[in-house]
Amino acid sequence: MAERPEDLNLPTAVITRIIKDAIPDGVNVSKEARLAISKAASVFVLYATSCSNNFAMKGKRKTIAAQDVITAMEDMEFDQFVEPLKNCLEAYRKGQQGKKDQKKKSKEQTDSSKYHTEEGEGDAGSDVEVDDNENEAEVEDEDDEDGEQADSVADSDVMIISDASSDS
Amino acid sequence: MAEKDESLQTCMLPLSRVKTIMKSSPDVSCISQEALFLAGKATELFIQSLAQVSLEKSTDKKSLQYRDLAEVVNSIDTLQFLQDIVPKKITAREFFEMLKQNEDEDEET
Repeated sequence: MAERPEDLNLPTAVITRIIKDAIPDGVNVSKEARLAISKAASVFVLYATSCSNNFAMKGKRKTIAAQDVITAMEDMEFDQFVEPLKNCLEAYRKGQQGKKDQKKKSKEQTDSSKYHTEEGEGDAGSDVEVDDNENEAEVEDEDDEDGEQADSVADSDVMIISDASSDS
Repeated sequence: MAEKDESLQTCMLPLSRVKTIMKSSPDVSCISQEALFLAGKATELFIQSLAQVSLEKSTDKKSLQYRDLAEVVNSIDTLQFLQDIVPKKITAREFFEMLKQNEDEDEET
């Protein structure tokens, strides 16, 4: 939740960079104009949120989904954003999938070598298409085995302690 | 290609901040990660197009001023929702004239 009113503004530095990337080099953007664009962007987020939420509620869903945002763009008559956004969503999904695969790979590696250090998530595996469910099941199985081993170790610890206490 | 993919799947705007703004809207309970990302991306596109369209309207094409933005916001229908955020600037003299006109109309009715 927003505690301070400035939490509802978008960072000026990022806004400035986006504007700079959008217009030709050497064009001067006045401070007032930048501030106005920044405020407009915040209001755009709210407007888009409200429209998206309407579509989610119409579908009797509590969570705003990606499709709701895209439909909202059509509703707001920003049709020119629909195609780019669809492309972005596709790329984003691919990227997330790639990250997942990468994570699994590093997890499998660390599981087999018994070192529990997470390796960094890279995007190198973004092109690898692996059946998600199958892989997930495998990882879970390995987790279970790990858990059992840990349990047995704990049991033996207790045994040792009880032995020692009976001796004394 | 890889670089292009990178720019498509990352958002320049901080998504945590976008989420804060979205959550400040009443009735919003949950936002999926994908929807949040798309909202951020859409805002990015919006900023770009607003800057570009305003520059086209600007008189000298070398600088972007507030009045160019206000002009665009007040002339494009889809930007109507911004009219209170980016109002046209008027001089005090114009304001008093408007005020006087309104008073005259009130008196007539």
